[in-house]
Amino acid sequence: MVEPLLLFDALLGLAIVALAVAVLTVHDRFAMIVLFIVFGLMSALAWVRLSAPDVALAEAAIGTGLTGALLLTTLHHIRAAPAAPVPVPGGVVVANLGLCALIFGGLAFAFLLTPLQAPGLAPAVAQNMAASGVGHPVTAVLLNFRAYDTLMEVVVLLAAIVAVWMVERGTVQAPAPVLGEIYRGFSRLALPAIVVIGSYLLWVGAQAPGGAFQGGAVLAAVGLLLLLGRLYRPQPAHRPFARAGFVLGTAVFAGVALLVAGGGRLPFEYPAAHAKTLILLIEGMVTISIAVTLAALFHGREPEAVPVSEKSE
Amino acid sequence: MTSGLIFGLTGIAVFAIGLFGALVMVEPLRRVLALKLCSVGAGFLLVVGAWREPPEAPDPVPHALVITGIVVMISATAVALALIRRLHMLERDTDD
Amino acid sequence: MTELPTIDWPTAVVFAPLAGAILAFAWPRRAAALGLASVLVTAAAVAALALQVLAEGAVVTRLGNWGAPLGIDLRADGLSTVLLAMTLGVGAFVSVGALDSYAPARADDRTRRYFWPLWLLLLTGLNGAFLSTDVFNLYVMLEVIALAAVGLTVLGGGRAAVRAGLDYMYASILGALLFLMGVGFVYLELGRLDFAGLIAAEPAPALTAALALMIAGLLLKTALFPLHFWLPGAHANATAPASALLSGLVVKVSLYVFLRLTQYMPLPDELLVTLIGALGAGAILWGGIQALRAERLKLLVAWSTVVQIGLIFVAFARAGQVGLAESWKAVALLILAHAVAKAGMFLAAGRIKDEVGHDRIADLDRSPIRPTLAQFTFALAAISLIGLPPSLGFAGKWVLMEGAMAAGYWHWVGVTMIGTLFSVAYFSRVLASFLRFDRMRSPVAEHQGWALADAAPLILALSALGLGLAAAPILAFMEIGYPFGATP
Repeated sequence: MVEPLLLFDALLGLAIVALAVAVLTVHDRFAMIVLFIVFGLMSALAWVRLSAPDVALAEAAIGTGLTGALLLTTLHHIRAAPAAPVPVPGGVVVANLGLCALIFGGLAFAFLLTPLQAPGLAPAVAQNMAASGVGHPVTAVLLNFRAYDTLMEVVVLLAAIVAVWMVERGTVQAPAPVLGEIYRGFSRLALPAIVVIGSYLLWVGAQAPGGAFQGGAVLAAVGLLLLLGRLYRPQPAHRPFARAGFVLGTAVFAGVALLVAGGGRLPFEYPAAHAKTLILLIEGMVTISIAVTLAALFHGREPEAVPVSEKSE
Repeated sequence: MTSGLIFGLTGIAVFAIGLFGALVMVEPLRRVLALKLCSVGAGFLLVVGAWREPPEAPDPVPHALVITGIVVMISATAVALALIRRLHMLERDTDD
Repeated sequence: MTELPTIDWPTAVVFAPLAGAILAFAWPRRAAALGLASVLVTAAAVAALALQVLAEGAVVTRLGNWGAPLGIDLRADGLSTVLLAMTLGVGAFVSVGALDSYAPARADDRTRRYFWPLWLLLLTGLNGAFLSTDVFNLYVMLEVIALAAVGLTVLGGGRAAVRAGLDYMYASILGALLFLMGVGFVYLELGRLDFAGLIAAEPAPALTAALALMIAGLLLKTALFPLHFWLPGAHANATAPASALLSGLVVKVSLYVFLRLTQYMPLPDELLVTLIGALGAGAILWGGIQALRAERLKLLVAWSTVVQIGLIFVAFARAGQVGLAESWKAVALLILAHAVAKAGMFLAAGRIKDEVGHDRIADLDRSPIRPTLAQFTFALAAISLIGLPPSLGFAGKWVLMEGAMAAGYWHWVGVTMIGTLFSVAYFSRVLASFLRFDRMRSPVAEHQGWALADAAPLILALSALGLGLAAAPILAFMEIGYPFGATP
């Protein structure tokens, strides 16, 4: 008397847990990253089953795809390092295993005692959708109701690229993976298609699953291909443009939020007649910033001219 | 038994596994992945909080929160990985 | 600036440093000037907000005019405003100190250019967190703070700093993710994320789980013993202005969130309050021992932060669960005292290291150069951290012990006394080396001239000393808008 879909869910859940364990236990570090990517895609599938296609798309593109690319290029840089520097004492492992089992038990207990499907904020969102300027509820929450959070999220991304550029001084030209000839041909064909897909995701976000973050991630993939195919090489002279690209989304978002205020209106309170236009403007600029920033995070260090040792700076 | 229940428990399990990894793992990349597992686990819990038995539409607010969380997490991951690469470079240079 | 009355001050307090960060990053050649200007504008906005709070009570901004729980509100009550004032007061002087610490003669171009955007992003996060009324928004703010703080930790770029920064990063992300999991449980149970929802909530298993997760995450980020392992390395190896910001301000924000949450979601058991106090006592003992053993000046100062955080948690627990309604004031005073004194002390320690060329405590008295003013500043800051009158540290400890005695919790009085003895002991190690110079054979070169960098820590240390006299008005201001009890 088990519904087939529920059986599927249960198997999927078990597979996700097993993959999580495998990520931590598999010896080879390359296999670890591959398993993590499979884990991320399975989680995205589970979120589709939970009727969260936007989240699944974001997790697959950003949380799994781009994160996986970041992990692989880092592994490429540090592969000379020993896989396991210092073994952890067995007692510590057992104690932490017990602690985490206890935490799992406690949290699962609290979860099982909590009734699911409470009304939440869904009715409030539905009630205010008409005034939000967009047709898709998730986009309305991200760019209108909780736009302040989203602005700060773009600020987190900005902080990340500032920190990464600061950390990696670009003085040593670290080896970077390069695509082979066949892939370069492929990337020339794929690039325009990806640009179209990314822009489409941004555009459709106003009405259907998709939006700035998913679109930005897909466009960032363009940047990755350009970098890997050596079709684009970051130059020190490009730094001002890169910096402008990083801050564009934050600056426009914050600027719009402040400029709409006044005359009785509060910050972030878009005038009803222009809400849709303003949100599209913000989304477009944020998409560009996300794409540029994610690609730059993949590239890592700030492009610097001086290929000398650290101390002479 | 519902999808929400199954995946809620999945998420809590993934979080606990990630927590264990973050506490005991020493390899830099694996610690980062352990933290990423924790964030996926928390994402599961929020998505389950948004879930309604179809055909009822889900609550969009937690979906927006998880998308924000995903972008925040890749930012943190990128910084951690940059530190790992930098530390590796500094340690390699002193070993020579 | 044309229509002054319409400026929304809480928004200005968050957006002014953000604008500064964007400009300082986009225009690196002018980073220092833009950065300092933006800190001063933010300080002015905080002053205006403080006047508004004084006149009207708590100020609430409904961003987007949706109103919580659908939208996000900013709220400035007395406590938030005092902490904002602390942040900008400390931040402004550290900024001035940074002008000298990262001057062309001392630091490379990169360090100078990157300090300002990172510090202003940090300031955006700090101000945003002090004004936040929404648990998910707090999570995002904590992440802004975490990334900017890690960037500041590794600003020096040395191997020890990067390793400490990586440890700090792991701890910081894990703390934030524990908090996020707690946020998940809050939404699961309540279907909303604002503080008002937490206050109105009935006790439930999911909320207990949420509180446990969030407290665990915050204690990790605050570095309460035994979760302090990441702090000494990170704070000791950063450059001096960064250390001042990290020790003075960054650890305070998770403490502040802890204070809010434990008021809004009451701890389920008296035992838990006692446990938190006991961890604070552990921090005082362990941190005190480590500070006595530290070989380097900055490491000693970092361990003293561990001790002071322990003391703050003892203040939290001083009168048990029923006493929490009053104990938050002792906590807030000690937060304030530590922020001002520790920022001054780290800047002074940085000056000493800059002038002498090292910060090995055992060799400080052999130096041919004596940075007298920085040493004097260090001593003044130590007076407040030890808790001698009339310092702010004394006022905080006094409120702590008064409450503990009134409630009959003499063990917390004892712990505070032991902590005081410890701090006298480890600061004496340093002060003694300042006073002895018989081991120096050649003539001692006194005081390398007045530097701007000496003024900033000196003013901070003097403030820590003098503000104790203003403890009563500060306490009265903190109660504006009834931070706890009333619906925000």
